Amino acid sequence: MKQVVYTIFVAFWTAVLTIIALDAMTPTAEAGDSGTASASYTLAEVAEHGQLDDCWMAIEGKVYDFTDYIDQHPTPPAVMAPWCGKEATEGMRTKGYGRDHSERAWQMAEQYLIGELADPDE
Amino acid sequence: MSARAAHRLVWLVALLPSLIFLAHLDAAAVNSASGALNAAGRLTGVAGLSMLLLAAILSARVPGFDRPFGGLTRLWRTHHLLGAWSLILLLLHPVLLALAAAEVSISAAAATLLPPPSDLAGWSGWAALILMMIFLAPSFSFFGPPRYERWKKVHRLAGPAVALALVHDFWLSRGLPQWLDLALWSTLALLALAAVGWRFVFSRRIGRLAYTVSDVTAIANNVVELSLEPGGRKLRHEAGNFVYLTLEDDALEAGRGEEHPYTLSSSPDEKRLRVAIKSLGDASRAAQTVRPGTKARVEGPYGRFFLSPDRVGEPELWVAGGIGVTPFIARMRHLSRRGEAADVCMIFCVQDPAREIFTTELHELAARLEGFSLHIHYFYREGPLSGGYLDNVCPDLGRRSIYICGPQPLNALVQQQAAAAGVPASRIHTEEFELL
Repeated sequence: MKQVVYTIFVAFWTAVLTIIALDAMTPTAEAGDSGTASASYTLAEVAEHGQLDDCWMAIEGKVYDFTDYIDQHPTPPAVMAPWCGKEATEGMRTKGYGRDHSERAWQMAEQYLIGELADPDE
Repeated sequence: MSARAAHRLVWLVALLPSLIFLAHLDAAAVNSASGALNAAGRLTGVAGLSMLLLAAILSARVPGFDRPFGGLTRLWRTHHLLGAWSLILLLLHPVLLALAAAEVSISAAAATLLPPPSDLAGWSGWAALILMMIFLAPSFSFFGPPRYERWKKVHRLAGPAVALALVHDFWLSRGLPQWLDLALWSTLALLALAAVGWRFVFSRRIGRLAYTVSDVTAIANNVVELSLEPGGRKLRHEAGNFVYLTLEDDALEAGRGEEHPYTLSSSPDEKRLRVAIKSLGDASRAAQTVRPGTKARVEGPYGRFFLSPDRVGEPELWVAGGIGVTPFIARMRHLSRRGEAADVCMIFCVQDPAREIFTTELHELAARLEGFSLHIHYFYREGPLSGGYLDNVCPDLGRRSIYICGPQPLNALVQQQAAAAGVPASRIHTEEFELL
């Protein structure tokens, strides 16, 4: 048992350091995603994507396409489904029971950013 | 309930949160590689935490609580295994979650491992895991064999580690319906808290009895037998039990005020307690020079070696190695005081005549106990205990219940030969004094 635990202990640090090293060596091209965020959508346009297999959400003035993410979300898809095609800031900030999503979740959401929410007055 | 069933029940409780988690897992969530990795990552978190909490619950050391589990040493083996699995699973937990996030990007994977400073839930998980690596490193000899007292001190970091792991869990867990989540983890956490509370608060107040060393007898040049006079309430115990003994002699070179486990060598019918201490480490070496009049504290009793300590119902074979003779001498003294007959074949294994301990008294007691036959086995002359030797001194081995207390190689050897003679495992009982 001692050898097994020690082996996993070494493997753990190897994996952690490898992931961090890979991240450090990867050019931060994804930061340039903001270029695509220049597109602008109205809530009516967002509402056209209100299905699990085509799911956009507006959150704090930004528009996200979460279609590819639904399967990876920790909860069953049914939890995200009611927010597809909607202004979903409340869902993101409260998870439905008053707890904000983690900073990590907010960061991951940036990968799915497709544009800004158009000002309704324009 | 048998001891084996009791241990299985512990594992079942430890796995219960994982089973509930799996029952609530949506099949659609695991149909992609990253979904499966994410689910596995969360499952390892659930399983690791529940095993950690179960290990904490089993650490309570409440006298009597260990009996259904076949004694404290066996209970601690399960505690040790739970701790090992908990560490393995919790080490896998962040790595699996990071690999799941790697589908998005390497930076998402790295952000999973190293969340932003504001993510206190993530960092409390990290802190708990680092503490676990520190307090479990000596238990699994990561950096060489541990020293008992240092290991004990470092192991106390388990408390903050469990607390931080619970913070992490309550903040982030979402695999179960919220009420179930709360009920399950709160119950396990409260039980763990009660166990730790018992260990560090109540057992110190009510679990320890005041005794005074009244007599110190040299049994050999590295073994003494202490007699302890009760200061108030007397410890109730069985032959074969052990206690945690704390000696408060200021002149002791080591181990002063520390608790160490020793087997009782006295009959439960005696007013005084007796413990035979062999010089094996710093504290037991120092205890050889303890002075009469020294204040002592006794916590126990623990262990459950003999199934019927007060009489010998079925024929028995006893195999003792060195200082492992102590539970047997306790039972011989007890049976002799009660005038019981004893259909026992006893083999006492020692290196050579110079290392004999208690042999004069053993011969006297053996002569007094009807049906008792005593054989001294000398390693230097006869080599390791052989099947031939066993056959010779105890030809009806196959029909006896077997009790073994001695070093691990001797223990393994006798178990092997008993199995070869057709003795079922349920009739082989061992007492180990190595705790790790």
